[in-house]
Parts: sequence; structure tokens; C-alpha cells
Amino acid sequence: MLDRSPMRTCRVKRRCAYWVIVGMTLAASMQFNRQAGAAEDATRYMSAEAAEFFERTVRPALAEHCYECHSGADDDLQSELRLDTLAGLARGGAAGPAVVPGNVDESLLVSAVRYEAFEMPPAGQLPTPIADNLAKWVAMLDDGFAAAAEQLPVGESAPVQSGPHWSFVRPQAVDPPPAPAGESVGEIDRFVRAALRNANLAPAAAATPRDLLRRLHYDLTGLPPTAAETAAFEADPSDSAYEREVDRLLAAPQFGERWARFWLDLARYADTRGYVFQESRDYPNAWKYRDWVVGAFSGDMPYDKFIVAQLAGDQLEDPAVAPASGFLTLGRRFLNNPHDIIDDRIDVVTRGLLGLTVACARCHDHKYDAIPTADYYSLYGVFASSAETAREDLPPALVDKPEPVTPVVFLRGNPGMPGPSVPRGFLTCLSTDGPRPFEHGSGRLELAQAIASPDNPLTARVWVNRVWAHLAGRGLAATPSDFGVRGEPPTHPELLDWLACRFIADGWSTKALIRRIVLSRTYRQSSAPADNGSAALAENVDPENRLLWHARRKRLDLEAFRDSVLAAAGSLDLTVGGPPVSIVDDDAPPRRSLYGFIERQNLPAFFRTFDFANPNTHTAARAETLSPHQALYMLNSPLAMQAACQLAARSEAALRDGQADDPSGAGAISARAGDASFNETQARVAAMFQFALGRAATDAEIAKAAEFIAEGRDPLEDSPPTRNPWNYGWGAFDPQSQHVDFHALPHWTGDAWQGGPALPDPALGWVTWRAGGGHPGTPDHAAVLRYAAPAGGPCRIAGRLAHPAEQGDGVRLRLVSSRGSVLGEWAVHHGETLISVPDATLSAGDELYFLVDCQGGDAYDSFELSVEITATDPSAAPRVDRFADGFHGPLPPPLDRWQQLAQVLLMSNEFMYVD
Amino acid sequence: MINRRDLLTRCGMGLGALALGELLAGEAQASRAVNPLAARQPHFAPRAKRVIHLFMNGGPSHLDTFDPKPALRRYAGQILPGDTPTTERPTGAVLDTPFKFRRHGSNGIEVSEIFPHVAKSIDDIAVIRSMHADVPNHEPSLLLMNCGDARQIRPSLGSWLVYGLGAENQNLPAFVSMCPGGYPIQETQNWQSGFLPGIFEGAYLDTQHEAVEKLIEHIRNGRISPGRQQAQLRLLSELNALQAGPAPDPALDSRIQSYELAFRMQTEAAEAFDVSREPQAVRDMYGPGVQARQILIARRLVERGVRFVQVWHGAGQPWDAHDDLEINHRNLAGQCDQAIGALLVDLKQRGLLEETLVIWGGEFGRTPTVELPKEGLNAGKVNGRDHNHYGFSMWMAGGGVRGGYVHGATDEFGFRAVENRVHVHDLHATILHLMGFDHTRLTYRHAGRDFRLTDVHGNVVNELLA
Repeated sequence: MLDRSPMRTCRVKRRCAYWVIVGMTLAASMQFNRQAGAAEDATRYMSAEAAEFFERTVRPALAEHCYECHSGADDDLQSELRLDTLAGLARGGAAGPAVVPGNVDESLLVSAVRYEAFEMPPAGQLPTPIADNLAKWVAMLDDGFAAAAEQLPVGESAPVQSGPHWSFVRPQAVDPPPAPAGESVGEIDRFVRAALRNANLAPAAAATPRDLLRRLHYDLTGLPPTAAETAAFEADPSDSAYEREVDRLLAAPQFGERWARFWLDLARYADTRGYVFQESRDYPNAWKYRDWVVGAFSGDMPYDKFIVAQLAGDQLEDPAVAPASGFLTLGRRFLNNPHDIIDDRIDVVTRGLLGLTVACARCHDHKYDAIPTADYYSLYGVFASSAETAREDLPPALVDKPEPVTPVVFLRGNPGMPGPSVPRGFLTCLSTDGPRPFEHGSGRLELAQAIASPDNPLTARVWVNRVWAHLAGRGLAATPSDFGVRGEPPTHPELLDWLACRFIADGWSTKALIRRIVLSRTYRQSSAPADNGSAALAENVDPENRLLWHARRKRLDLEAFRDSVLAAAGSLDLTVGGPPVSIVDDDAPPRRSLYGFIERQNLPAFFRTFDFANPNTHTAARAETLSPHQALYMLNSPLAMQAACQLAARSEAALRDGQADDPSGAGAISARAGDASFNETQARVAAMFQFALGRAATDAEIAKAAEFIAEGRDPLEDSPPTRNPWNYGWGAFDPQSQHVDFHALPHWTGDAWQGGPALPDPALGWVTWRAGGGHPGTPDHAAVLRYAAPAGGPCRIAGRLAHPAEQGDGVRLRLVSSRGSVLGEWAVHHGETLISVPDATLSAGDELYFLVDCQGGDAYDSFELSVEITATDPSAAPRVDRFADGFHGPLPPPLDRWQQLAQVLLMSNEFMYVD
Repeated sequence: MINRRDLLTRCGMGLGALALGELLAGEAQASRAVNPLAARQPHFAPRAKRVIHLFMNGGPSHLDTFDPKPALRRYAGQILPGDTPTTERPTGAVLDTPFKFRRHGSNGIEVSEIFPHVAKSIDDIAVIRSMHADVPNHEPSLLLMNCGDARQIRPSLGSWLVYGLGAENQNLPAFVSMCPGGYPIQETQNWQSGFLPGIFEGAYLDTQHEAVEKLIEHIRNGRISPGRQQAQLRLLSELNALQAGPAPDPALDSRIQSYELAFRMQTEAAEAFDVSREPQAVRDMYGPGVQARQILIARRLVERGVRFVQVWHGAGQPWDAHDDLEINHRNLAGQCDQAIGALLVDLKQRGLLEETLVIWGGEFGRTPTVELPKEGLNAGKVNGRDHNHYGFSMWMAGGGVRGGYVHGATDEFGFRAVENRVHVHDLHATILHLMGFDHTRLTYRHAGRDFRLTDVHGNVVNELLA
């Protein structure tokens, strides 16, 4: 990736903030001068050859390495030297002329980057080839260049260009470079390998069948292959078998689900509106749009039609596209501020479909791209001329207003400062014959058509690049939503163009595009660099793997991660479509994560922890962070616990039932797992590996896992100290032995423990425990609260017992230790009493019984109880256990060894990364 | 040589006391033996070892807190003489401060009445009245203040410091960011590790919660003992090593480290975040409320060697007083003043202030002119101030900072920093200097270039050093 200078982007922001157009004159002139950022014509001051070399080589280097201090007219400009305009280069700065035409030695620009006259840039000397290129360009200049100093204004920081920006020129399908003799590779590979050869690099070897199949499955469906699928492909990894697998996955409903989610990131999809005052927070039918997108990808709707449906579906008279309007209408509501809603729509359309940051032109002409403010308001007019209508069972639609609005420029983006009017229309820089106002209604359909047009230089390129980025882990152009001057230029421009042209020729078929890419040798190469010395060179000259000398290892995103956990557990529900469900609750249904409810305003931590796309705005690419919170999730979350238990059970069932238990695990007991020489433990480990990782375990892995299973017991394994120490039951005190016989209460109502669903229970009577208190039964059915000491040492027991009722005869609390001693006794009737044992001593595992009995009759004996047990050893870990805090329903048991092992497999790097 | 199994046997269950990362590095991780969180020495002897950054997000008004301007009263209701610099929104006439200022400390530094407790420690504080930033918008200014760059993905100050210094306590996150009730705007980008390894990213805690299991999601697990979880991580590391290719992959290394950190957090965090373990007198000193609690947690964390603690006032941008500034600032200062004052006194009493740098401030200040009413933005009220990046105040205390000192000045009205201007980059350079770093030499090679927090900018403000 090029190092784009921080200061430059600062500047953009700054201008966004306070670029002021004062007075009507300037603003009015914008109508006539729509070529903002218009090119200075370099060929007037240098030969065509020099100009081309300047644009291709010199200017990008200056932009990358020098602009941060030497561009713009700001305070930050260093040494009064501007290198972003021809005049600036010709005039030089405080130290004198930067460029002396034809004279390399006298040109400070060259000697500075060679660390001779100055040491520029100060952060580190530039590589020699860059300096040599500057020198070469200076040598190409003649006195004609000096005229630039006089004839051109130093100007704003409009970029010097001799021609239009690359992405504004229609892609040309150049023939791929020839393959070297003996290499039989497809067109994509011929582009990629030519670039590698130029850099003296070699591609990596082909990925192993297992890695390739896993990669393909995740890329196309977001799910791992089953062990059986992997085994079958390993048995026949031929090209034709691979091709069949590609076609099968492209036809699977899971393909549509996976690729719909990518689109939803661009569409800033959510199931709620974001911050609202009083109206309902939900978009109740947003999911109809989501399902429509799934269907569009599954059915391979041509991408041009896909765009028109989402921008102007209301004008297509096709009821099937009705939900598509959600693309525009499901954004954040900005407290219903119409200008911000329109701005959001302009942004989602232009960044999403065109890779242009048009929203930057809301307040001022775009400082880098040829997008004048007038263009922004031309689009603004399109949306301002469209009204939103609510519909039964569908997301809101946009329809044209009866009378379209003629937009005016808002000076500084301020609706209170209306400027000149502009026609509704498309972006000037993409209109080959000059701006043409839209003529029909709002112009939304014309806008859609102008975008979804083979003549649009951006649309196909931007989409093709996004598809490439999802498959390869990085776009050919690394800034997929910014194809403007400040975006990353493509690493393989001819390949990008060729793919874009083929995409259009293929009828805008996304599936054909994906098929073409995944069938390439480039896609199928290993993520491990070639093992032939070339890798060391490659690491040096191309550490970021821009030239694709190996495949890119990818971390599972949130959806693929959670879906994979459920798949390994054998619980994944593959139902397609429908209303959203919570995927963060403890008992969340095992639907694919695509169907998770997305709360825009308060996105649950799970989404943020795993780098979900921010639903407030278009997301070009997700982050890949690593945090201890992700680790805590896998160590301790209910999902991780549940999946570990299910995976362990699955491996056991597979062992018991052989191969027949589960069609997706048909191969689970294949190969190694069915090895007759295995003992039961080894076979079960092998089965577990098959379910979790889709492959046979190695001998070393089986040995490690078996060792783990057989390790000595941890004394706390069955009663982890983090386990809730409180239990709720009934029993009686035996004065002879000073012991309590404790029986857990069998029935949990959701907030209380009791003898059965109804009270009194036929057998146990009124015995009840609830948060903060309870009720005893008959004298031999006392309510007994049990505390199992998680740690030993001295402690203080304090609390309060209350009996609120006037009636009855009150209750009595006995505090009894499992060591057979009564620590205290308290009775109360219509009042309360404090409980205090200041100096108890417990050993880990000791039990304390708080036995409350009815003292005779059990009528009117509801009682309140608080208990607090505080460890008092200053040298031990502090600990306080409170009855009220810890009140709980049924607890799942501690994990057994197999469940522990299953969890480890789900946490492994292999599980989380795709090679 | 002791093998791992021997070590485990000898240490019994006391493994937590050892850095698991180092243990694993000894065997399973073999050649990847460097623990990125091991404590390291900076370039030169540091003045401060830890930082508490009290982030008043939204942009507190310097004119109503630490930069009194009598001219505001003289010109109240009049148009500012000269030009009115452009800020985010239109502003009108001069707005006087509703608050009184009094002189404090041995140098008579003026502090607003809304920060009486902070004022008591003014002799330990260096007030910078000449801060300036780049733009009057929250998002870029937050990123500039936190990451040194307004827009691009760059590591935050805390990440840089942990990268440079490692962790003093291996059982707690080295970099903690606390914010009650949700995220500030720009969310987790404020404490991102950017292109630095993910292990240096700040750990976020929602301090509206008190119980540790609510403070840190999934911190407790009643279904597995610590000993068995350790055994799981050992096996995990062994299985990962069996699968690892010949080339080291930093992302995979970070991942096992993040598991080890998570494991240790479970035991230490519960204790560190439980302010109920503080004596009543200390809790009383900090006062009631969530601000007091999280500021007291901050002290407990630095006391345990957490390197960088960021304390955000609240979700969103609470100090963003576009209207009702008087009510807003009085409320917010009232929520945190006592606790901040207590923090300074408490740190000092414990001998921690010398090596703990306390930083107070927002992402920018506010205009001396009143924000004009605008529908949907400020409730049509004319009693607030717009954002102001041209000049604002921050203060630092402890950690080698010159106490009882005022640095720089804004113009007569407090609009622009004019004297001894301190850009955010200069502040960063100074903070790094106090932590023992030459800011031009604390670099990380990424994408073929050495990056640094201050990019190509920044000068250490020597006058701020004690």
C-alpha cells in the first residue's frame, strides 16, 4: 500500500470543514466552471514524453513522499515550496528553484532526495530508483518548463495532470500478456505472472487440495466444507473435480447468503433506524430487503439490473424488485434531518457503486477529484425530488414527487445559505459529452442507468475490484470505495480493466466473474510463499504481497466464525431467509449469523468485538483486530460452552454409531478415525478433529490430545471456584449428629426454586427459595440454603433475617457447618434480626447450611434473608459471596475432558484462519 | 535446563504468577520467543512510567474552565472585533462566561469555580492555554488527539506507549480505555492499535457497570477451573505450533498472546476493578457516582502497573455544549471534579504522582462567540459555544511535569492560541519525552516506511518539564 501522507488527508478534512465560498459571484461561476480540479496542461511546458513520464512516475512519487509538507497553500507549507503544481515546481521555494530544467546537478529537488543538499524527506531516504526517476525527468525538461513559473498561477492544490484520472477513462480490454512456453494458465494468471516476472518473482506452489477446498467454501458460502467433502476432494483433486465443486457452491443457497452480506456492508444495512426521539426504533421490514439481496445473488441477477432495481425499482413495474428500495431507505435517520438523509443516500450510492467520495463535495468542491459542489447538488436534487412512502410488509420505497425540485447549491453545505440553482443531473466527470440534465421526473431512473451503464468507467471496475478483494483478501485497487485521485491506484491496472470488460461482456454476471477468478491458478496458489529462494526476495521487494506471489491468509469474519462454530457443533440451522433473530442472547437460535438482528444505535459488544461492519455508514472493508475480548468470548461465552459440549457429544455419537449418525459427518470416521489400531480415545479424538477442522488428526495431535484427556485431575475440576457457590434446597437438622441432610429443590419456575410447578407441592409443601428470601415447609421440610466454600481460610458471615408477617409464629435460622457444628441460631417473628459470625474458618469444599424452619406452624412464614460471606485473610485473594447477587436457576455442569478438548479445537488458529 | 512439565509440577497451581507467554515461548513457541508485552527500557530515563488520560470528550470550553478572558465581559453581546474565525457552525456575538474564576496555589493560577477540587492541586499542574488542533470537527480531532492523524488508520498514543515500554503487569491489559454507557464517537478507533500488532490495542470497559462480569463480558466461567483452562491454553499452543508453517506469522502469535492475556485478566481484573475493596475514607474522598468510580479504578490500575489508562467522560460527546453551556459544564464538572482532585491527592500521597502522568482535556475547546440558533442542532437556544480548534486548554500533572505553571496564551478573547503555541503533535512529542522517548525515534516499520506517532511533526515543549 502506498503511504498516503497523513497531512494531506488532514487537509481534505480541514477544507471540508471550512472551505468557504464567499459571495454569489464565485458560487454562480461554478455553473460554468464545472471542471473543478481541472487539469493544468503539462504538455504546454514539456515534451509529451516528459509529461507522460511526469504523470506516470514523478507526480505519484511527489504525492506519496513530498506532498505532506509541500502542497497546498496552508500554514504547514514548508520552506514556501509547493510540489503539487507545475508553477510550484518551476518557481521553487525559499532555498531557490527546485527544478533547473535539463540540469540534474543544479536541481535541489534531486539533490535533496539524494540527501546531498538537504535530507528530504526527513523520515528516511527514498529508494534510489525514485531519486533516479526524478533526475531522469529533470533531464527531459527544457526552458519551456520555466515558463510555467510565470504563466501558471501557483494555484490551489489542484493536482497537476496531463490527462484524466485513470479510473475516469473507460476500461480497455487489452489482451493478456502471453504465457511463457510450457505454462498453461488462464488469462488472469497471464496478467499476474507477467507482473511477477517483471519483478523477478515467482508464484507460490498450488495450495493443497484441503486448503483449496476450505478456501473455496469459505469464499463462496462462508461455511467450511464437511470432512466428507474434503475427503472426496482429496481423493480426486483434479481440475474437473474442482470446477464441479465451484459450480456446485455457486448454485448453493449459502452462496447468496454469503455474498449478500458483503453487499449489506456497503449498503450500511441495519434492522433499526439509529438514534430516534420518539418514533419506533425498528425498521420492521428491513429483512425483506436483506432477503431480496440474498435472492439476487443466488439468482445471479445481472449487476446492472441489480443497481437499477435498488435505485429506481419503483419505475420498473416489476413487483419482484419492490424490496430493493431498502438500499436507499434503510439508512440512519439523523433525527429525520432531510439534508443528512439525502447526504447518506448520495454517499451510499457514490462510494458504494462508483468508488467516489462525492459526499466530500457537500460544502466545497472536492479538493482532489473532479467533483464540484454543483455536482453534489445535482444529485441532491434527484433525491430531494423523491418522496419516501411507507408500505405494508415492505421497507419504505422512494417514488418521484409530482413536481421535481430544482436544487440550489447550499453554500458551505448550509441550507440557510442558498446559492445558485443547478439542474438535476449526473457527475460531470463521468459525463463524456458534458453534463446533461436529467429530464424525467426526479431523474432517479436516469441516474441508475447512468451508473449501470457499460459506458460508465467506474461501475464495473469498482464491483469487479470488490469481488476480487473478497476472494483475494485485498483489492487490485486497495481502496475499494475510493477510486479517486487519492485512492490507491491498482496494482494490476490491465487485469482490472480486462476483468471489468469481461464482466460486462458476460452480461454483468457476478457468478461468472467469481468463477473466472476462483478457477485461476493465482487464486489456487498456496498461502505459503514458494520454497525456492524467491520468497526472500519477494519479502524484501513486495512485503505486502501486492504482486500476488502467494495467497493471502484470511481471518474468519464474524459471520463465518460464528457459523463455523455452530457447524462444528452440528447445530447450524441452514434455513434461508426470514425475520431477524437475536444472535447474542445466551439461548440464541443457531441460525446463520446473516440473520442476526442488527441494532444500529447500540450494536451489541459481540458484533464490535469481532469487527462487524459499522452499520451507520458504508463500510468498504472490515477491520481484522485481535483483542483479549475475542479470546474471552471463546474461553467463556455461552456459545463457546454450548458448542464445545455439542462437539464432544457429536464425537462420542460418531464413535458409537459409526458413520451413519449424521449425513454431513459421513466421512467423520473415515480414514484415521476408523483405524482399527486406534483405541477408543484415539478414535474419538480423530472424530473430533474431523468435525471441528474437517481433516484427519496427525499422530502427534492425537498423542497430545490423548495426553490432555488422560492428565491427572485438577482438584477443582468438578467445582470450579468461579462456579456459583449457592444451592437451594430443603432438609432437616439432626440434633444428634449436628448434621443437615440437604436435598436440592427440583423445580425452577424462572425466578424461584420449589418442590414442583404448583404450591404447595404435594410432597414438599411450601418450601421455596427466591432472590432475597424464601418460605419453609413443615418442620421436617425446612428451607436450606447451601454454600460450598470455594476457598479456605477465615471469613466473616453477616446478614439479616426478617419475618414481615404479624400472623403466625415466625421462623428460625440455624447456621450449620458440614463439619458438624452449629455456628449460630436466630429466631424472628414480625421483625428482623441481624446475623453475625465474625470469625468462621472454612476449608475449600466445606459446606455451610442456612436452615430456616417454621418453628411449629408453616403458615405466614415468608422470610427475607441476606447473607454475605467475606474472606478475612489479608494475604489471600479478596472474595465476597452474597446470597442475593448469586441467586441463580439451574446451572449447567462443569465441562468434562472431552468438552474441554472440543473447546480447544474451536479456539485453534487453524479454525480461525483460512489459508 | 528445566522443561515445562517440571516447571508446572514445581509451581503447582501457582502458574498464574508466571507469565504464561514466556513459559510457552520457552518450548512450544520456540523461535518466536519474544513476548511483545515484556517490560522494556525507553530511549532515556523516563520521568513518567504510566499515564492516566482524562478525556473530556465533546470539547470542554477553555473559556469556562482554565483560560479566563475578562474581555468576554466587556464585549459580551457585541460582535468580535476583527474577524471571527470559521468553525463548524455559524457563531454570533461574544458570550461571557457564566462562571467566576479565582486564583489558586502559590502562583495564583486562575481556575473556574466549577473545578474547585482540581484547583486545590494547581501547584502540581501545568496548564497549557495555547493548544491548537487542525479542524473544528469531533471525528478528525478525536483521532488527531488519540492517534496523531485525523483520518487514516494509525496507532493510538496508548498503543505506541505499550509498544515502546511493554507492560509492567502481565496479568492486566497494558492499555485500558474506560467509558461509561457506550463508546465515544469514533468508537474503538480512539484506542486502536492501527498497524501495530493487535496485542497493543486498548481494552475497552463499559464502566456504567460495577460487577466485573458486566464490566468485562465473559470474564467469568463457572464451568471450568482455572487449572483446566491453563491446560487448555497449553494444548492450544502445542496444537497451533504443530500446525504452524515455517514462516512466523505475527497475527497468529498475537492470537495466542491474546488468549493468555484473557486468561490472566479473569483472575486479576476482578480484584483490580472492585473499588469496594478500597477503604471507606478513600471512596469518600473520590465521592459518589460513576466518574468517581472509574477514576478510582484508574488509580487502582496504575497502581498495579497498567501503562495507559484512558478515562472518557461518557458515551458520545458529553462536553459538546452547543447550547445550555452553563448547565452542561456545571453538571459535568460537578460529576468529575471531586474525583479528579482526589486522584491527584491520592496519587501524591501514595508516591505515585511522581511517575504517573495525568492528562486532562478534550479534543478541542469552544468559541468565545455564541453559537447561532439552528434547527435540529442546538434546540434554537443561544447560550452555547461552537467547537474551537484554534485555541484551547489542556493540563498535565505529575510524571515530571512542571507544577504551578501556565504555558502559552490565547488571544484577548481566547479564540486563537497566539503565545507559545502547542499543537497536538507537540503535546504528543512532550508526552513521549516524559515517558523516556525521543518521538522521532519511536518508530514502527510498516509498508516499507518507518511510522511514528508525530509523523513528521512535533516539538517537545521543554518549558512543561519540571
